[in-house]
Amino acid sequence: MTWIEFLFDSESVRAAVTQITRTTGVAGLSLRHEDGVLPGQAVLPVLPALRELLPAGGLQRGSVVATGGWSLLCLALISGASAAGAWCAVAGLPQLGVAAAVDVGLDPGRMLLIADPGPGWPQVVASLLDGCELVLLRPPDRPSAQARRRIEATVRRSGGVLVVAGDWDGAQTRLLLARQEWTGMGAGHGRLRARRVRVVADGRGASARSRARWLWLPGLDGSVAVADEIDSSPGPTWRERSTG
Amino acid sequence: MTSAGGTPQRVLVVWCPAWPEPGRDAGPAVDAGPDARAFEQVVAAVEGLCPRVEVLRPGACAMNTRGPARYFGGEEALAEKIAVAVSRRGFACQVGVADGLLAAQLAAQAPDAGMIVAAGETPAFLAPHPVERLGNPELASLLPRLGIRTLGEFAALPAAEAASRFGAQGALAHRQARGLDPRPLVSRPPSVDLSVSVTFDPPAQQAEPVAFAAKSLSELMHADLAARGLACVRVRVQVICTDGQEITRSWRHGGLLSSLAVAERVRWQLAVWRARADQDGRGPSATAPGRLHLAAEGGEGSGEGSGEGSGEGILAGGIALLRLVPDHLVGDTGHQLGLWGETVVDDGVARAALRVQAMLGHDSVARPLLAGGRSPAEQVTLVPFGDAAEPRFPAGRPWPGRLPAPAPATVFPAPLPARVTDESGAPVTVTGRALISAPPAWLSAHGEPWLAITSWAGPWPVTERWWCPASACRQARFQLVAEDGSAWLAVVRDSRWVIEASYE
Repeated sequence: MTWIEFLFDSESVRAAVTQITRTTGVAGLSLRHEDGVLPGQAVLPVLPALRELLPAGGLQRGSVVATGGWSLLCLALISGASAAGAWCAVAGLPQLGVAAAVDVGLDPGRMLLIADPGPGWPQVVASLLDGCELVLLRPPDRPSAQARRRIEATVRRSGGVLVVAGDWDGAQTRLLLARQEWTGMGAGHGRLRARRVRVVADGRGASARSRARWLWLPGLDGSVAVADEIDSSPGPTWRERSTG
Repeated sequence: MTSAGGTPQRVLVVWCPAWPEPGRDAGPAVDAGPDARAFEQVVAAVEGLCPRVEVLRPGACAMNTRGPARYFGGEEALAEKIAVAVSRRGFACQVGVADGLLAAQLAAQAPDAGMIVAAGETPAFLAPHPVERLGNPELASLLPRLGIRTLGEFAALPAAEAASRFGAQGALAHRQARGLDPRPLVSRPPSVDLSVSVTFDPPAQQAEPVAFAAKSLSELMHADLAARGLACVRVRVQVICTDGQEITRSWRHGGLLSSLAVAERVRWQLAVWRARADQDGRGPSATAPGRLHLAAEGGEGSGEGSGEGSGEGILAGGIALLRLVPDHLVGDTGHQLGLWGETVVDDGVARAALRVQAMLGHDSVARPLLAGGRSPAEQVTLVPFGDAAEPRFPAGRPWPGRLPAPAPATVFPAPLPARVTDESGAPVTVTGRALISAPPAWLSAHGEPWLAITSWAGPWPVTERWWCPASACRQARFQLVAEDGSAWLAVVRDSRWVIEASYE
């Protein structure tokens, strides 16, 4: 009961409640306590499960993170900061499943969706970065080196984070969904329940060292959690039918 | 026929006694069909003399006398000409002229072929008429019971007392009884143009003077609207170039945009226009630094468009005209908080969103609203930024049969066509009793190469809104996992497979 009361003392009751409902235990709540207010910090918070993958323990302000392609991983990356109060703009992803985004912890009240940024998308992204701390972008085309550098300069100046659902040549951090295995479903019975994914992270500078983790994305309860290594794991409690 | 000002308009009414007056007629309601057509001849005869005639009902029409009376040399001459023209068509008519519509109608019905009430004598003319002539049945029964039998007696009441005792309708009737025009009920007479504009001579070459003019124009528009007790829901900004090109964009206003905010929107609009001109036509290299220097800084002109296009500069001639048009007028009933929903949008975000709206249009920036529904597409309603809206289906209801968690990360805006076959390559079908012809074994989504299905679940039949043919939907859902680990939400609808979503 005490931590419930503590939550209601903090400003963002809604975000915290989202955290309660979305995460399994108190682990998810620690996010609010430790990271606290967003402005002035060098790092935007991420979900606890993703912290070890990122060298700074979060999303470095002014950096570009590339995720290789569109997947739930993009949403999981930005959900920690969104739950902590950051505004998030999504450009070029008309297919984004908002329900899935909410399930991993994004606050739908602080989302802007720009389904089609059009041929002038670099300017749209620059405008969005001026207002939102997080921009999730799927570039409609490959930007020229000049346009790319200009966007990176805007990211640095604004102190936001650009998460690219695709490749980005100058990205400081790269995350990749290497393998995925759905569980819970068999031949004609069950349903999709949870997915184990292997996320590989590398990048430049401090993040040059490659890291890899098994994650539940999403887990049984919809949250994102660290999974055991695949060979040592006896598997989840239900009858597992991995599809790898 | 109405004006908001104190001086009522001079109105001429042509009344043909051949047509029974509704309401005063004791018999059952007369079918106005043939009568209405015959009355067209009367209207045509009157229109031959003055063009702007308003048909009040079959048997009576009215016009403003101001122009025609001056043209024909006085109201008497006009009335006579009209009476002659109508009688030439074979109809008897009476013509009345007075201040305001009600008095003119009564004057037309005066014995001896109607009469002309001199300007200013209307209240005296109205005074002896019974209150029934107000045309308000409620007041017609109420006022005599209070001892008020004539319009004169009613007009003698203080206006404030009449308004407090008889409400808005009573206040209106009281004005009529005093020989004034009733306060306009409609937000505005449709003929009044509330738009404000400024012409630039010489044409403006830079954005700044245009934005500056927009600020004062907006102040003018707000003052004009406020004087009429109106507010506009949207404001349309129209910019016209000397070469005839025009850029128009509507901004949701809601009475919340200050004149500075309007000026800022004009500035964005011009900046976007400029950027687009660069992209479509001349390329960034042709940007003249001195002109419209407010083109958005940082990242403008992606550089893709250079070298192609006709090369004509959109701003070649400069800006000739700026016009603000208040759109969708409503009575100003004060502002309401909570326009943005429950989350307060901070200024930076609103600025960014509005700038993108300036580039791509109002509908381009959306905020998601969680809604109810069974399919993933239904569970979200997208609301354009700045609009307040309700979800299509209320959230928080049980929605039995909804797709179980986890929710798919990808929900295709338009479902992808797909092919699903069994081991032998025959398409998998689902019967009306939700039985499948064979276990699905191969999947090809949107023409992609075939993938072996390693596990699947379904069919989950969904029959929605069968009572409404327009939105009825009968389908069967499947979850499919392919050999590469990808998971899909497939649907059989009208014997066709489509991919509704995928779990990426």
